Formats: sequence, C-alpha cells, structure tokens
Amino acid sequence: MVDATKKRNRVFDYFIEEEQFAGGVAWCAGCPLELTARFVPKVLGKKMIFVGTPGCAAPVLHGQNIGAWHHLAYMASVMTGVPSKATGLSRYYHKTGQEATVVCFTGDGCATDVGFQPLSGAAERNERIIYIAYDNEGYMNTGNQRSSATPLGAATTTTPVGKIKRGKPTPAKNMPMVMLMHKPRYMATATLSHLEDFAKKLTKAKEAAKEGFVYLHVFAPCPVGWRIDSNRVIEVCRTAVRTNYFPLWEAENGKPRFTLEVASPKPVGEFTKLMRKFSHLDENGMKDLQRTVDERFALIKGLCEVYKE
Amino acid sequence: MVIKHKNIFPTESPWSNTDKLLLCLDTGSWRTERPVLDREKCNYCGLCALYCPPQCMRDKGDYYEVDLAYCKGCGICATECPRKAISMVPEGEFADG
Amino acid sequence: MVSAQKGQVRVITGNAVGAYGALLCRPEVVAAYPITPQSEIAEQIAQFVNNGELDAEYVEVEGENSAMNVVLGASVAGARVFTATSSYGLVFMYDALQETSGYRAPVVMVNANRETPGIHAVSSGQQDMVSTRDTGWVQIIVENDQEILDQIIMSYRLAEDNNILLPVMVNYDGFYLSYLAEAVEIPLIEDVDAFLAPLKKQTPRQKLVPGVNIGCGTHGIEMGYVEARYKHCQAMERVKPKVDEIDKAFGDYFGRYYGGQIEEYRTDDADIIILASGSATGTVRTVVDSKREKGIKVGLVKLRLFRPFPAERLIEALQGKKAIGVIDRSVGFGWKYGPICTELRALSREIGTAPILSYIDGLANLDITIPHIERVVDELDTAAKGKPYQEVTWIPMEE
Repeated sequence: MVDATKKRNRVFDYFIEEEQFAGGVAWCAGCPLELTARFVPKVLGKKMIFVGTPGCAAPVLHGQNIGAWHHLAYMASVMTGVPSKATGLSRYYHKTGQEATVVCFTGDGCATDVGFQPLSGAAERNERIIYIAYDNEGYMNTGNQRSSATPLGAATTTTPVGKIKRGKPTPAKNMPMVMLMHKPRYMATATLSHLEDFAKKLTKAKEAAKEGFVYLHVFAPCPVGWRIDSNRVIEVCRTAVRTNYFPLWEAENGKPRFTLEVASPKPVGEFTKLMRKFSHLDENGMKDLQRTVDERFALIKGLCEVYKE
Repeated sequence: MVIKHKNIFPTESPWSNTDKLLLCLDTGSWRTERPVLDREKCNYCGLCALYCPPQCMRDKGDYYEVDLAYCKGCGICATECPRKAISMVPEGEFADG
Repeated sequence: MVSAQKGQVRVITGNAVGAYGALLCRPEVVAAYPITPQSEIAEQIAQFVNNGELDAEYVEVEGENSAMNVVLGASVAGARVFTATSSYGLVFMYDALQETSGYRAPVVMVNANRETPGIHAVSSGQQDMVSTRDTGWVQIIVENDQEILDQIIMSYRLAEDNNILLPVMVNYDGFYLSYLAEAVEIPLIEDVDAFLAPLKKQTPRQKLVPGVNIGCGTHGIEMGYVEARYKHCQAMERVKPKVDEIDKAFGDYFGRYYGGQIEEYRTDDADIIILASGSATGTVRTVVDSKREKGIKVGLVKLRLFRPFPAERLIEALQGKKAIGVIDRSVGFGWKYGPICTELRALSREIGTAPILSYIDGLANLDITIPHIERVVDELDTAAKGKPYQEVTWIPMEE
C-alpha cells in the first residue's frame, strides 16, 4: 500500500516516454553516461534522433549489423561531423514539416577538441538542434587520455605522473563559457545528482530547439578512468556542484542565471578526495586547482549579475 | 563466383532495425555484489530507481525490486538511498549467485 | 528524336552553369563553403535561394567537411541534395566522403578540379579527384560548360536510381572551365522534371524517420562489413552500364549525347589512340583532325567515367591498337606513370601488345597545347612502328 509518507519523487513526472534501451548494454557499472543516455529520451520523447560518434556512447548508441541496443532512430558519425549531420537532418525535417528533436550526443573530446569546429558553426548558425556533451574530462573510451576538458593537474594516460611532470599542466577549456559566448537559444549545465534540474533543462531544451540551437553540458564522471568507487559516482556529481567545481546554471538567449546557488561551497579538496586522478597533487597543486575553480565561478557569477533582472 | 552468404541487411545500405533484433547483454553476470532491500525501511521515494544507471529497479507499487538479469552491482542505489534500506551483499552468499 | 523544348541559350561561366544545373534539379538542401575556383557556385545558389527561385534550405557551413556532412544528413533524411567544392576542400571532406558512399547516400557534388596541398598551388589539375578515388564515389569528368550542366542532371538520375544509390562527383577543370564563359543551352525546368520523373516511380529508398526504430551507420561486424562492402562494389559495377543507359536516354530527350563512360572520336580505323579527359580533349580533337589530314590514323578516347573505371568499354575501344598515349593531369605517387595510365595498364593483357605511353602534362594551370599533343601523336606513331620509345614523359620538364 502506498501511504501518505510514500510519495514518489517529482522527477518521474517529467517522463513522457518509456525506457528505450535494452536492459543490458555495454556501459561500465556505475557509469553516469548510461544514466544520461537512458534519461534523455524519457524526457524528450520518442521523436528524438540520436546523432552519435565514436566515444563511450557509440558502442550502445550505434547498432551492430542489423541489431541495435535501443528503439530510437539514430545516425552514426565520425567525430568531425556530428552537428553538421544533425543540421542536415534538422533542416530537412523542418522543411518538410516532420516533428523531430535532433540530439547530438558526444563526449567532451568530440565537443571540445576534434568536433569543436562544426559545433561552433552550428551554434553560430542557430540550427534547431540539441547538442549534449557528456563531460567525463577526457578520452575515456580509448583508455583515459587527456582532452582539452581535462582539468589542471589531473593524471591521465597521456598526462601521467612522472618524475619531472605530474599531470596536466593546463586547466580545462571552459566549454560552457565558450558556448555561452555563441549566445545559443538555450544552454545549460547539468549533472546526474540533480535530476529534476536536469529534467527541467531538457524540457526547456526541447521547446527551445524548435527555435534555435541548444547546448547542454552534462558533468558525467568516469568511475574507471578517474578511479572512483562505482557506488560513489552520484556523490561525486553532487560534490562537484557543492564545491562550485561544476556550478549549475542555464542561459536563455545568452543570459546566464544559476539554477542552484550553493550557500557555503566546500573546498575543492572535498571533491578531489573522492577519486584518485588528483591523488598525486601536493598543497600547491591543490591551491592551483582551487584558484581555477574560484576564477571560473567568479566569471559565471559576474555574468549572472550583469544579466540579473 | 558462388555466393553462399545470406544477406544480413535487407537494404543496400547497412541500417539497423530493432524490429529485427534488439541487442542485449547479460550484464547481470558482471555483478559481484547484489542490492538487497529492507522493505520495512523503504518509503518508495524512487531515488534508487532514478539513479540506477542501467535503470533496472522495477516499480512494484509501493517498493522497488532490482532486476538481477541486468543489475551490474555498482551499488549506487545502496549509497543514494536516504533511508539506508538497500545493502550490497556479496554474490557468494546467494545460492543462485 | 528530341522531345525536350529548346532551352534558353546563355553565355555563362562553368561555375554559373554548375549552379544552374543544381537549380534545374530542385535540390532541397544545399550546403557549400567557398573555395577558389568554385566559390561562384556557392554564391549563385545562395542568390537563387534568396530570390525565391530555388526552394531549398541553404546552409552556409563553416568548412567543407561540414558541407559534406550536412548534405549527408539531409540525404539520409530523404532530401535531394547538392554541394560543390574543389581541391583542399575536397580532401578536407575525406572522412565524410567515405561515410557518404558507405551510407549509400545519393549526394551529387560538383568538384572544380584543382591541385592539392603540399605544393601550394591555386591552379588547375586533377590531383584532388585522384586523391579521393578510393572513397567509394562515382567520379565523372566533363569537358565543357554544356557538359557540366547536362552531367549534373544525368548524375541525379544515376545517384538516386535504386539499383545504384551512390554519391556522384562531377569533375571539371578548375580555372579552365570554372571561369570560362561559353554559350550553354539551359533546358526548361519542366523538361528536367520530366527527365528525372522515373526516379519518383521507384519504391522510396530507406530514410531516417523520427520515431522509427531504425538506425543509419550501424557497425559492420564481420560478415555485416563484408556484405556492405560487397554490395557497394557490386553497385559500382552496375554504374558502368547505367551511365551508358542514362546518356542515351538524355540524348534521346535533349538531343545531346556524350558517349556514356567514354567518348570515342575517330577511333574505328585508328592505329594509335590518345586517352585524355577534361577540357584538354577539345585540343586533342583538333590535333587528331590535323594529323589525320597528314595521314596518321590517330583517334581520341575521352575518359568520362573515372570511378568506376570503365574497363569493358576501354578494352573494346583499345583492343588491337598499335600504340596508346595517356595524358594525365595529375601525378601518381609511387608509380612512374600518371594515375589514369597506371589504371589503364591493369587492362594491358586484354588490350593486347600495344605500347602504353604515359604523359604528365597540364599541371598547375600549364596549358596542354597543340604542340604538346602533336608531339604525343608523333611519338605514338614511332612506337606503333616498333621503334624505341620513352615510357614516361613529363612534357613541361622537357621544354
């Protein structure tokens, strides 16, 4: 019996579609990308088309021979062509009056590195597509190499900890800020600990994509590459928000506002201690990382102030 | 040339079609620990189901039951349950495990 | 018997012709990025769209790779599409070219031939086409402005035929044709509609439809990969007779024939043959005529279809000849012969014992002149008489 104290979470109210994926798919245990991929169609509905690319998503988004892992229409792409293929699809569906939500679904490597040019181009042209970048801060599918989304100091297989160099020497490209400067119709950051926030943003994204470009930057830690216990991945997402390492905000027509303001943010060390990719950082390394976090937060906060109504 | 191969794709181009085949892995076999629910503690909030990456917590009306065919044993449900109603138990302790 | 009405004759550049060719075929999505010597096509089509003369989505992309990806996406959704490029732009599309043909998307593209990078050159040459010959596209080379227009129309009939479903690249010599204004008959759009109408009677091809559980670009696993490649190669084989068939249908309807895969000029009784392609074939014809007057039995084979390589038609045309000279407007790294010559030599056994002489000429906007071709004829005449000859000649290097 369901009594008054047994009230289901409001997030369920955002679901308009059943599960679209097979029960067992090839994503690692505890992977928040799997949660993202299963979550998105439930909120966006069946008329969404995935445009995907090699990366952690491809083994599941794209089929194998006649078989596929999900019931959604999809188009596979190499990493350099994702938003452009989506443009072609979206333009034709729009021209012929077919209802469709065309969703690019790529990792941070595609979005910030090799596939950045067409992403920037599609955003500038204000194409009616949604681009979701799941950010696991590196090339996790190929074995944890650094991308330009890899944070300062992080150890990856191409920025390993050695005797004279220890981790990545430069901070991550501030991709949400880069996309904000494109002034997309709608954009937001989101993560898996804050699912109602994510669901609201997806709902807005679907409507906004009828008018123009949408960019969603989803923080999706990799339990394998970052060396996190698989049960603590959601906790890592939550801590990233609570330390302002990954602030939650959105922007309509280029005007940013926080969707969640952390009252008293914790030091970034609370976040880094949950994983081992930062475990080699000394006091100075941690200070540098904290400074990056503070500077980025100050920047977005300043912009939010500018646009405050 | 004598072609013995029977076509996989009905079309010229390689397209997949889940009417023909929905791929699925036996991810339940990956698991080393299994979530066990204490129904007394469960208040049916649904957070375990929402956070479950393979979305294999089945809604039973006033509680959730894990689908062991797909559960990879990540333990997120147990960690995230606000009532600590789920515990992860090593597979070795189950007769079917 | 010509069924089509007489079209308007206008003196326009090859690039403008390319744009008119596209306009007449009513593409629904066009994407293009400017590059010399093609940019005029991108501009002209944009003008057509903005004037309301062409009802198409026009995407001004940020690079050629995106141009190909946009038209690929639209084609997979079901659209008729068009794009145009050249040189560096074509090679920047390399991965997308392969996806387009692998997905069997009937994209039609114009490529204004130009040299490719390494040696930076803003000049004509077929190196771009040669560099992309293994991308699974149909590649056709045309000679003049009228042929650009007519071949674009024919290319839609070819690409969208359910027995073909392959992308088609229409190549013409950049600079030579792109900026050359010639008198061109522009058919009435109703007649082009009628010529392309058979495509509409086909079963609709596979399309990516929102809400339908199908996917484009599935991984080819083992025999899935083998099967897809086999079908692609089989389709390439079917292109060859189809090009001849469409050329005949086009000629019957519009009154202009191009010979299909190859065009033969005074080859029947010829002892020696020049195999050439593109705009230089006009010059070769002139020399064939003048040498014939001097009693040398020379003929021209104009290569129109480069991919698939028209093996059967070439064997038929060249069998029993006494010497063959191939003029290449590109180089073949790793073979001393030019690329078309190298490919022709794969047919040596079927053609017979004739010496095959390779000539590299016309690189980097250097003209393939009448004296150059006269020299080729004279050397072939010598070789045909069993005398010693030079196997490979870079003509400009000996001047």
